[in-house]
Amino acid sequence: MKKSYYLFNPGRLSRKDNTLKFVPVNEDGVDGKPKYLPVEGVKNLYCFGSLDTNSALYNFLGKNQIGVHFFDYYEHYTGSFMPKDYLLSGKVIVNQVEHYSSQKKRMIIARQFIEGASFNMLKNLKYYSKRDKDLSKQILQIEQLSKLIADTQAIDELMGIEGNIRSAYYSGFGTIINDFEMNNRTKQPPNNEVNAMISFVNMICYTACLDQIYHTQLNPTLSFLHEPGFRRYSLALDLAEVFKPLLADRLIFSLLNKKMVQKGDFDQKLNSCLLKESGRKTVMRAWDEKLNETIKHRTLDQSVSYKRLVRLECYKLVKHVMGMQEYKPFKTWW
Amino acid sequence: MYVILVYDMDKRRVVKMLKLCRQYVNWIQNSVFEGEITEVKLKELLASAKLIMDEETDSLIIFKSRQESWLEKVVIGKEKNELDNLI
Repeated sequence: MKKSYYLFNPGRLSRKDNTLKFVPVNEDGVDGKPKYLPVEGVKNLYCFGSLDTNSALYNFLGKNQIGVHFFDYYEHYTGSFMPKDYLLSGKVIVNQVEHYSSQKKRMIIARQFIEGASFNMLKNLKYYSKRDKDLSKQILQIEQLSKLIADTQAIDELMGIEGNIRSAYYSGFGTIINDFEMNNRTKQPPNNEVNAMISFVNMICYTACLDQIYHTQLNPTLSFLHEPGFRRYSLALDLAEVFKPLLADRLIFSLLNKKMVQKGDFDQKLNSCLLKESGRKTVMRAWDEKLNETIKHRTLDQSVSYKRLVRLECYKLVKHVMGMQEYKPFKTWW
Repeated sequence: MYVILVYDMDKRRVVKMLKLCRQYVNWIQNSVFEGEITEVKLKELLASAKLIMDEETDSLIIFKSRQESWLEKVVIGKEKNELDNLI
């Protein structure tokens, strides 16, 4: 299994002896001890610190199918370096476009995404309501709202319902998380600890989805629920809807409730709250472990990692647009 | 598959071996590497290693383990290179 590497230290990454050499640099500009990353064992790189590289390295990374994701100082996702597409299929793209441009066909897929998302959100709430948290109000609200999904005719209408479901869902976060308050969901910038966590983990979730889409024939810019072109890889946003409750939110709950991330891991600045490096590292480590965790898949009857689940979702989408099998979103069954 | 790879080579060839192994597994100590590797990649590594080695005098030993978790690793003294994917 290839690994993801997370680069927090600023430094220089270069190609050396046909493998990757990373030289960390400290605040005074002094080089640290070089570290060699075995190129055959690298899946992708996540850069949080500033990275010094040259095009020779990117050529090398491209040849080895290694993607690099960049994040800025404020933890926003800024972009990716993706190697040349290696799974090309004109047929899939043509069908993908067709499913986008026909309102009827597009709605079928979009509805499924929301359907999956709301089901998984409900699962989370129900799990915690069994653990003596009073979430009956939110559960009822979401259950009622999700009945409306099937009758929606336009994307705007669907997005409206999605927004309502999500705000009901987020209103339960304060109850689920013990020591922190969430109040309303705020972004750009997040105003408290829980919001900062949500923003950070959601963003990581997008990139994980993007990574998986890359390994299929799907085009990551053609999306169904979100408007394509609104953000660059909008199909990743679509997929993330289904997986955010399962991957991102559960991780947030456990990290905060087990006190693995505490008040000291956040930086309170004027009107904003961001994760400090210590917090980011804890989150990334937990995330990496989570993605490699395996579950027994029901229909495949084999152990499947969470990462793989996202890929399977992509395959289902391919089958749907090719007219082989109708797309059914992933729903947690445990 | 998780492997520990050790070699003992003539000093004229030892650097070549080091450079080759760095591409596939993590360096942990002089002449010692460990890491996750697939069956095929290991074959590839061994094929290239044989080209460097003089099989009359040099040796290369590989300890295989199904999974990293089945390996208990104890470090005494200074750990020369911590294996972590958060850098």
